Amino acid sequence: MMMAEITVMDFNAKERPQWCPGCGNFGIMTALRSALAELGIPPHMSVISSGIGCSSKMPHYVRTYGFEGLHGRSLPVASGIKLANHKLNVIAEGGDGDGYGIGMGHFQHIMRRNYDLTYIVHNNQLYALTTGQASPTTQLGVKTKTTPYGVVETPFNPIASAILGGATFVSRAFAGDTTHLKEILKQAMKHRGFALVDVMQPCVTFNKLNTYEFFTKRCYKLEEQMPKHDIGDRSVALEKAFEPEKTNYEKIPIGVFYKTERATYEDTLPQIKDKALVEYDVSDVDISGAYEDMI
Amino acid sequence: MGLSTHDLAAFPASFPDGAYSIRLKNACADKAVEFPKVVPMDFACKIAAQAGAGVMVTGRLLVRCFSRGGYNVVGYPEYPSLIRGGHNTVQVRISDKPVSSPSEKQDLLIALNKDAVFYQMPSMSKGGAIIYDELIDIGKFPKRADVNMYPLPLSKLTQEAGGTEQMKNMAALGASLAMIRYPFDVIEHLIRDEFGRKGEEVVKKNIDAAKAGYNHVKSSHFDSKWDIKPLRERKQLVITGNEAIALGALRGGMKFYAAYPMTPASSILHYLVENDRAFNIVVKQTEDEIAAINYAIGASFAGARAMTGTSGGGFALMVEALGMAAMSETPIVVVISQRSGPSTGLPTWTEQGDLGFAIHASQGDFPRVVLAPGDVQECFYLSAKALNLAEKYQVPVIVLSDKHLSETIFSTELFNQAKAKIERGKIVEAKDLAPLPQMSRWHRYALTEDGVSPRTLPGTPNGEHVASSYEHDQTGFSSESFIMRSKQVDKRAKKMELLLKEMAEPTIYGPRDAKIAIVGWGSTKLAAIDALAILEKAGVRAKFIHFTHVYPLDPKIVKKAFRGCKVLIDVENNSAAQFAQVVKESAGAEMDFHILKYDARPFFPEQIAEEVGKLAKNEFKGEKRIEVVEKEDMEYYNTQRYGL
Repeated sequence: MMMAEITVMDFNAKERPQWCPGCGNFGIMTALRSALAELGIPPHMSVISSGIGCSSKMPHYVRTYGFEGLHGRSLPVASGIKLANHKLNVIAEGGDGDGYGIGMGHFQHIMRRNYDLTYIVHNNQLYALTTGQASPTTQLGVKTKTTPYGVVETPFNPIASAILGGATFVSRAFAGDTTHLKEILKQAMKHRGFALVDVMQPCVTFNKLNTYEFFTKRCYKLEEQMPKHDIGDRSVALEKAFEPEKTNYEKIPIGVFYKTERATYEDTLPQIKDKALVEYDVSDVDISGAYEDMI
Repeated sequence: MGLSTHDLAAFPASFPDGAYSIRLKNACADKAVEFPKVVPMDFACKIAAQAGAGVMVTGRLLVRCFSRGGYNVVGYPEYPSLIRGGHNTVQVRISDKPVSSPSEKQDLLIALNKDAVFYQMPSMSKGGAIIYDELIDIGKFPKRADVNMYPLPLSKLTQEAGGTEQMKNMAALGASLAMIRYPFDVIEHLIRDEFGRKGEEVVKKNIDAAKAGYNHVKSSHFDSKWDIKPLRERKQLVITGNEAIALGALRGGMKFYAAYPMTPASSILHYLVENDRAFNIVVKQTEDEIAAINYAIGASFAGARAMTGTSGGGFALMVEALGMAAMSETPIVVVISQRSGPSTGLPTWTEQGDLGFAIHASQGDFPRVVLAPGDVQECFYLSAKALNLAEKYQVPVIVLSDKHLSETIFSTELFNQAKAKIERGKIVEAKDLAPLPQMSRWHRYALTEDGVSPRTLPGTPNGEHVASSYEHDQTGFSSESFIMRSKQVDKRAKKMELLLKEMAEPTIYGPRDAKIAIVGWGSTKLAAIDALAILEKAGVRAKFIHFTHVYPLDPKIVKKAFRGCKVLIDVENNSAAQFAQVVKESAGAEMDFHILKYDARPFFPEQIAEEVGKLAKNEFKGEKRIEVVEKEDMEYYNTQRYGL
């Protein structure tokens, strides 16, 4: 059968996104649709697994298969999908509260395992769908509904954590630069292994500090650096990861911080080398071979 | 399961007739009903030592040894929650008649340390024997005139045979088999099969150690009253409840298992991971139970039959995702192997305390199924059935086992694989799908007549949809429409009618027309069936009504099962009579008596027989609630408590 050419239209959904006008999520949605189209992955071959939050509504607006699960649990669901059918392009999405807050444990462990999937974190530096509480990435001193005297907890650094935690592709992008974001997403999906794309996503309703203007002024692209940023150098990557904190958020690098090759978890499983788990016939599994040690 | 007269004829005629009646008489001393000897041959030995001394391995070898000799065998382990020290035991009970539970007393004890002598003395049967290492000083311990002591040079024999101190258990195993005059070649073959993989040297050392113990006893010409010979060649399985659950799942087409270690469910994880490549399945140990169930749900959504397993505490962490499986209508099977709760409780001991939790866990209303196997055969078939039900009806299915059933080793007939068929339900394939209009989704949550909507699996063109934990419309898009909400709730609820049709009637054991009915669910079957045999000999005519399909309960089924019963005696391994509550709520039926045990041990058949016997003797008058607690309080965790 001839496959029709895949275009952005294939990923458009008729439902109107329920986000605030001007929300950074629109940029991420547009970039993701384009990235999938440009990579030529047909809609039925991708699955987006999300948690709960504004960001996690994404599966509804990018027309692929989707699973909108529980708050903080996009990664374990995505992992199960990948292990059951590793031929699928699996994307996990969620916010900073979802992934770096309630789902933090899963984030740390998935990096060790290096499944071949892409994790997009919509990092708006607060909890938005619950009307603006502090999140693990809210900057020090920021006043929110739950921090009337300002945040006193050191913000979580996802880029540094990912570099140290074993992620094989660590990147950051800005939702206001969709062309750049699309390119990063394409690289992340093409990467064999766990790819983190932390997206700085302005929340136009609750975050009065980290606005489009804030990021436009401060973000610079690592790939445009002279001398060229070495994405294979872990120490340099780590150095860059701390730049926003060191410069009091005056300089925010975006792009690929670190990339390396390591066997994926799936690679270590001979039972799914030739066939995906879902491709096995289960209608008449003979178990009598297991009797030997039991008699 | 029963033996023919031919088999009985093969049994040695010289068998000392009175030997085994003593044990039961002793167990039932001072009881309301005089219990005579139950079975022609019923023998229990026990191996005991500190944790780490190889008690579990030796216990399993003994079970296989007798199983190969044609006996029905139960190997019941007890151990505290620690890795070194404490007190571990395996009681191996054998009979030429069907037996399914351990008994209160043992005839022969293999004591590998001095604690074992102290701990097990009270539960020795009259005329029983204790084999122990002569180096052990038991001078301080209370003695019993009716128990024979056999100090043997176990360490010395092991060393002389070229074995390490760790192999002392093999010498003891050999010695115990010689005590009962069981032929050595059975154990020799077994050691070859068991240790063959580890190489000839390991095999030889173990055989030599066992032989040294065996020959020493044989040449000592002890005045042993036992003469237990293999009955016949018999090919039966030796398997724990957890292994049977795992095998049932494999037969049931399970391709993915995710779990976090938790006693007493961990051996499902161990067994499956050991066999993952043989069966082409993926087994994942996750970072916690929340991840485990979410992994399994993800795999199931992608089209692999998926299962997770844990105990009550782990299930508590899974509850949110259980509701998600219900809302997203993703098939999922959760095995809960119960232990004594609440909270950490007694991690290595048993209870049936999580029934109410399994039935009610999660916010919101939705249908689910709870199955409770009562023996290893039921573990196998119900775990396969659970996967069918989950997928056919797209609902969560819980399989409730407990420490007693999960970890006890049973001899049993080979499973009949043809009886476990696969039914995958409504999965729509690409060839049956029309192209979707642009920008639209497939109707995953179509409002169907029977409440079950067809599903497509990711990777199928034109079946794109979002499975959602939010309330949703037919395409899976989040919806807060009041009408759609009600329709989706109704759609899911409709499955209950279909599920009720899948719920098997309880099985009735003993005389069907008996007026006295013992009622139980899950693992209490093990002791209750053995109790029926004791009661029958004592002239108490009772039957046992056993429920495996515990939720949802069809009132018609309950009423039919209880018809003609004059007295209903609920037997449960918990304090709140949880199943009786379910029966009352579902069918309006009230139990007359509750025999409850929640001291962390399972029922022994003698205990159920004693309480039912007392009730019968008093013409069923008296307290409605009867609590059973062990008379001998032997704590395995704190050996210091006894100055050991």
